[in-house]
Amino acid sequence: MEQSWQLDNPILGLVVVGATFVLFYIVGFISNRQSKSAKELYVGGSNVGAITNGLAMAATYMSLATFLGITALILQLQVPFIMLWIQLILAIPLITIIYGTSLRRMGAFSPTHFIRDRYGTTASIIAALFMILVSIMYALGQMIGIAITFETLLGIPYITGLFIFGILIVGYITIGGMAGATNNAAIQMVIIALMFIVPLAAIMKAIGASGWYFPPLLYSDMVPAMMDALPSFFDYQFSPKWYFSIIPALTIGALGLPHLAMRVYTASSLKSARSAMVWFAFILGLVFSATYAMGFVGVFATTTQGVTISDADADKLTIILNMVYNPEWVTALVIAGAISAGLSTLSGNLLAIGALISQDIISTLKPNISQRLNLRIGFIAIFAGGIASILLAINPPAFLVVSILWAFGLAGVTNAPLIIVGVWWKEANKFGAIAASVIGGAIYIIVSPFVFPSIVLTGHGVTDGMGLSGAMLAVPISFILLIVVSYITNRMPGLSGKLTKQADIELIERIHGWKDIKAYRYNSTLGAGITVIVSAAVAIWALMPWGM
Amino acid sequence: MKAYKKEVQFTIWMTAAFILVGNVGLIFSIFPVDAMLFGFPVMYIVPILMGWFGVFLLTLVAGKIGNRIDDEIERENDTLGNADEAKEV
Repeated sequence: MEQSWQLDNPILGLVVVGATFVLFYIVGFISNRQSKSAKELYVGGSNVGAITNGLAMAATYMSLATFLGITALILQLQVPFIMLWIQLILAIPLITIIYGTSLRRMGAFSPTHFIRDRYGTTASIIAALFMILVSIMYALGQMIGIAITFETLLGIPYITGLFIFGILIVGYITIGGMAGATNNAAIQMVIIALMFIVPLAAIMKAIGASGWYFPPLLYSDMVPAMMDALPSFFDYQFSPKWYFSIIPALTIGALGLPHLAMRVYTASSLKSARSAMVWFAFILGLVFSATYAMGFVGVFATTTQGVTISDADADKLTIILNMVYNPEWVTALVIAGAISAGLSTLSGNLLAIGALISQDIISTLKPNISQRLNLRIGFIAIFAGGIASILLAINPPAFLVVSILWAFGLAGVTNAPLIIVGVWWKEANKFGAIAASVIGGAIYIIVSPFVFPSIVLTGHGVTDGMGLSGAMLAVPISFILLIVVSYITNRMPGLSGKLTKQADIELIERIHGWKDIKAYRYNSTLGAGITVIVSAAVAIWALMPWGM
Repeated sequence: MKAYKKEVQFTIWMTAAFILVGNVGLIFSIFPVDAMLFGFPVMYIVPILMGWFGVFLLTLVAGKIGNRIDDEIERENDTLGNADEAKEV
């Protein structure tokens, strides 16, 4: 029988959500009184401590997907989805060691700021446009989640909730700025961790799990019953190729996400940025492991405890489990936690959109406008980005995580190669960057199931939809184009007047911390050659049959 | 030259180590193991543990080495500055 899941006492839920909102507004208002310049707005004055920043990084990253989307996809894909999710923890550590500290040293606002200084205006505007698309797709996932949460909370229709609460939240972010967002995100991380893990402990206790006091790892006594009821739960299901495709799509994809990289630039020093990455890994590992436990318990409850959840309600799994096993006030707290998670990610996304439009596009095209006008354009862009994601969420995809993960791949294709190669190889130039971003991005969009549903690589809906197959083809192509086109155009005498070789060399030496220039540094043709060969092998492998 | 080499090698090896530790599932998909650990199938719990504690330990190492390389680059810059001053005299 279909059951509709909704709180019996919505007032309770509203009060809890309202109280958290008031807290966030106050923190945002106090923090934002200092936001007088663009630097204050987007990178919190580059003066954020390690613990606050580490927690904020985790909160920005841990979107509403943690509460809603992931558990739904564990319900559908089971263990392969857990394996896919695990490596997402690599995002901040890899950003920090590969290019984050260099861009922090440069004083960049956003990855596009680096692309503009490194490759010039045209390449940076193309990259900025793709990054705006990435941020909107990412924000879209949060908007869907917020509307679903309010649907469950109040029983109000999806569209009504989307507009009312979407606009309220966008308003809060526009007022808050990055300083407010960072302080709030740190608070939100604590709320997310508590509201997720403590109720999970109560659910596990109700089901009879003996390790309920530490839910992230102590649920092995449920394993035998799970193996009896659903022997296939632990199966890997897919070939090594599927597991490999996670690396180009999501591991490299995360390196191109603007709102994550921006967190590294908020650090007060390079040492502080590195400490923040340690805090990030610890807290994210804790909550991620709890998410897998929640997914496991969800599958366990539906296969052994007679809880029925329809496909349409899959995204609500966490909330439904709380409704079944916990008192209503606990569910209300969980809903507040879910909203906090959506809020912190959404603010990261929208601030990235604000920075991209005002700093990377408007300031690039019209460098002489006043700082006040520029700041005002930033606020308008943040608001407009939010409204765009609300409008896109009117007709959402089946699973909210799918649009978020697809955005990872797009970032991996259009931005990550430009930043990584740009930081580590002096020869990379604007012709290579433009070719990589435009052609790579076009290929990724063409083979996605959203534009031409018949042109896909695997035919396996979720694999194509999450961009795993598309990124495995397009990311290596983007690396190849960047390296090969740069190498050739650098050797064409007719083009040398259009390139800024000396400035590029000076920039690269400076962002790595050097005060002098040495020809041997960051100039390895061998390294570039190996990258091209490996990338070609991966792209060819992606074109071969997937057997799914 | 020394600090530069260290910086490049550190970044390459550390990136490889992070990718490996975060993608233990890929290794098990190639070399399946049929054993249990702490009451879970090895192929389930080891990727989860490595994806948390393995990555956490690597961030500690990466932070320490990264700071040390920064200091070395700084020192090489200083000796360079001294050499320039010596030349000017």
